[in-house]
Formats: sequence, C-alpha cells, structure tokens
Amino acid sequence: MSSDFYTSSILPYAGIIIKICRAYTNSQEDFEDYYQEVCLQIWRSKDIFREESKWSTWIYRLSLNVCLTLLKKKKNNGQHFASDHLPAEATDDSLAFADESLNQLYDAIKQLSEVDRAVILLYLEDKPYQEIADIIGTSPNNIAVRITRIKERLKKILK
Amino acid sequence: MEKSIESIWKEGFLKSDALVAPKLNNLYTQKSKHIIDKFNRMFKINLIALVAFSIFVLIASFIMGIPYMGISVFILLNVIVIINKKLLDSLQEIDKGVSSYEYLTAFNSWMKKQVSINKRMSTFIYPILFLSVVIGIWVSNDFQDFFTAIMARPNEIYLMNGIPVFWLLGVILVTCIFALIGGRIYKWDVNLMYGSLFKKLDEIVADIEELRA
Repeated sequence: MSSDFYTSSILPYAGIIIKICRAYTNSQEDFEDYYQEVCLQIWRSKDIFREESKWSTWIYRLSLNVCLTLLKKKKNNGQHFASDHLPAEATDDSLAFADESLNQLYDAIKQLSEVDRAVILLYLEDKPYQEIADIIGTSPNNIAVRITRIKERLKKILK
Repeated sequence: MEKSIESIWKEGFLKSDALVAPKLNNLYTQKSKHIIDKFNRMFKINLIALVAFSIFVLIASFIMGIPYMGISVFILLNVIVIINKKLLDSLQEIDKGVSSYEYLTAFNSWMKKQVSINKRMSTFIYPILFLSVVIGIWVSNDFQDFFTAIMARPNEIYLMNGIPVFWLLGVILVTCIFALIGGRIYKWDVNLMYGSLFKKLDEIVADIEELRA
C-alpha cells in the first residue's frame, strides 16, 4: 500500500475505522490486526469504488464487512468474542479510551449482536436511517425500530 | 443528569486521544506466516492420509486375496510419503528471521521445487500404480481360477506366453496414457488441494512487489 494513498485516502477517515474495529475486538492486538486488515482491503478494492456513494460511506461499509468476516473466521477457529456474551470484564481492552464513560459505552456495545453493533455505530455517527439501511441491507423502518430497541438495551446495561 | 449515549459518544471522542491510528506494520509478516503455517498443516495431513490409505489398501488386499497388489501399492505410496517428508523437512530450514518478502520468495522457490519433483515422479507413479493393480490382480489365485475357467471353455483368445494379447495391449496403452498425463493429473490434484492458498500467496507477493517498486 503506497504511503500516499494511506495518507490521503485512509488516514483522514481513520476515526471511522478505529471506532468500528474497537467495537468488534477485545484486545489491542486484535484491534491492530483488524485495523490493518481493513486498510489493506480498502487499498485493494479502491479500484472498484464507483463514486455512487461517498468515500466515507464506502469505508464504513468495507470496515464493517471486514470486521464481520474476521469475527466469523475467528469464531470458526473456536475463539471467543464479545458476541458470545462474554461479560464486559472479560475483555482486556476495557480501558482502550481515556474517557471512562466511553469505555463503558463500548463495553455495552460489545454485548450487542454483531449487526446491532453495526447499526448503533452508524447511528452514533449521525448517519441517516436510509444510509444505515443501505449499508446493513434492510429498510429504514426496520432500522428505526432496531435503534429504539438497541438504545433501551444499552441504557439497561449502562445502569 | 444522566448522559445520553449520543453525548457520551460525542464528548468521549472529543476529549480523548482515542482516534490515534495504529501503525501499519507486520501485516504481511503475519499474513504470510499464517498462510505458510496453513500450508504446512495441510501438507502434513496429506502425508498422514497417504500413510493411512496405504495401510488400509494393504489390509484390504490381504482380505480380498490380492496381497501382491496391496504390498506394491503400500510400498509405492510410502516412497512418495518419504520423499515428500524430506521435502517438508527442507522447508523448515527457511530462515523465518528474514523479511516477509524474502521468506515468501524462499517459500515460493521451495514450492516450485516440490511441485517439479512430484510432477516428474507422477510420470512414473501413476503407470506403476496402475501396473501394480493389474499385475496384483492377475497373479491372485481367485483371478487365475477365473481365467483358467474361461480358457477351459471353447474360445478365440490369442495368447502370448499365457497372456491374452489384446489384454496386454490394453494394459500397455493405459500405462502409456498414465505416463503421458501423470504430471497433469498431479497438477490438477495440487490445484484442487492448495489452489486457494497459492492464490492468496500470489496476491501477497504481488502486493509486496508493488510496495517495493
């Protein structure tokens, strides 16, 4: 991957990738692996980006796909992840961020199903329901219902 | 007042230095190591399966009364295993301390050497395997009894040294065909087993070469 491409096309959107990768990993090592894999996949598929959507939406979509694929692979290899309903204390990067409330929120998000995690991440990034629905592959109505349900669940976990 | 999840999210990312991207490093080392380890495992399993199959054929041949076939197939398959085990041992000699590109290049040359040796062997192995089966069945008591019974009846079978000529020609023809296509059968077999791994490996080498350019 050329450093030019990384600096100009990936680094400005690194925040998106970090936020998504953090939600699907439980250790710094896994997080770095996922981050690198997402960057590699973005670089590899840059030529098929058709500008039908924004570059940032493309990055969201790719990051989620890569994380879900890696998670599936790891599960198939018999490793446990947060989606297996591990308690938040079982994760070893509960202090990934300096802000304690944010760490707690991430721990709560990690207790959601993989798709719910994707939905809430996109919602928290202020993505419109239509765009979330396009990325997830469902209807905006379904997304609205899901978000209400997820927020209630998160509130319960955070209490 | 209790904060909403939206405000926790926004304020959390504003305050913290959470969005510092990790350095991109070791990616290819990890990926190449993973692929080569996977190949190693598959190759070992393949050799164990060959040994198990040769033992099965040996036992079955004794039960079925065709021991010569079983013994020759057993010996042949185990010769293949021994040669490939030696090749696998030489793979361990590749220095893992070198860069991923050098490691992958060394692995690729080992792979080419391994495929070339096995391809050449296949030119002999398939015909010998076929001949072992045919001769093994021919010399078995059951087949000889069956053949004697056929010859006892009125027939127009032309024999040469007690062997039917057309049968002999058929065996020679099939043996020659196996000798001709043995290498291609091996290549097809290898692609079926390890094709996806080779593809991934080629992609990584291409990526690294692009990076080095």
